[in-house]
Amino acid sequence: MAEQILEQARELFEGQIDFEGQKLVELLVNVALTLVGAIAFFVGYLLQDIKLAVYVGLAGTAAVFLLAVPPWPFFNRNPVKWLPVGGITPPANLVVDDKMFR
Amino acid sequence: MYSSVVRLQNTFGFFTTVAFVVAAIIAASDLLAPRTPSVGLLKTTNLQVVRGRPHYYSSKKEEYAIIKFSLDADLSSLFTWNTKQLFVYVTAEWPSVGGSGSGQNATNQAVIWDSIITSPSADHLANLGPIAMKKLKRSAAGKSIDPNRGKLSLKNQRPKYQISHPSGKVAEQEDVVLRLHYNVQPWVGILTWNQDADFWKWTTLRNNLSKKFKLPAIKKKVEKKAGASS
Repeated sequence: MAEQILEQARELFEGQIDFEGQKLVELLVNVALTLVGAIAFFVGYLLQDIKLAVYVGLAGTAAVFLLAVPPWPFFNRNPVKWLPVGGITPPANLVVDDKMFR
Repeated sequence: MYSSVVRLQNTFGFFTTVAFVVAAIIAASDLLAPRTPSVGLLKTTNLQVVRGRPHYYSSKKEEYAIIKFSLDADLSSLFTWNTKQLFVYVTAEWPSVGGSGSGQNATNQAVIWDSIITSPSADHLANLGPIAMKKLKRSAAGKSIDPNRGKLSLKNQRPKYQISHPSGKVAEQEDVVLRLHYNVQPWVGILTWNQDADFWKWTTLRNNLSKKFKLPAIKKKVEKKAGASS
């Protein structure tokens, strides 16, 4: 029981996502942070208020952190399908490093 | 990006890059704002030279010039969204006796008065007491730029600093002029002083010299001791 809870806590802390999710989160972070920077500059420049620019930039960055860091379900929609453990014979004519596996 | 910690690190890493680039663009945006500072009037109103000591226990006596002046200037165009504060100062300048070949400075220059004008975005940093701070903040409440901040109008202003010279002699010095300087201190970017030539949208500060004047002889003290010439 305790081990199960510990395992869940570890998974929650590690927050692993699948490969497609990693690709998606990288794109999201780069695009969103660039947009936040651009919006912060233009809001500040148009209203001539540098404090506002700083607050917009920090608030937007906080939102991006919230979007990117937790393992949201939409980063885990393409889980890796592992082969089952044992029981399966390797296919014939499998070549690894020029060596024939039988 | 497979785990939360890695995503945290990568996101923060890119945030620092974005912050740096935005700061660089803000610094560059200063060039788009025209700077047209002007001086209406800079003149001396009262000149005095007295003898004194650099500090209480000093046995050395030096001459000190006390130069009162009037100044009208409009530096409000130096305040943009990126201006943190403006440092304004007035110097007195006079040529050296021997010129540049004498081992002395070719021009003697000493600050007689200065002032820090904060932008409303930096009012909380001003070195003021609580009451003056409240007054300063109220003077620009709700404004990110206050065009009144850069307008200077001083009448018969006492100097902050009495000036002397390494030789200890300033009395009857000729060809002294007052010069107004400014130094713009931005939130991000480089410090800029009043430039010598026009630079695109930034014009140089014209008319920022007073007329040449001569410092008076030492004011005789009433209780002057006999034979205190050394």
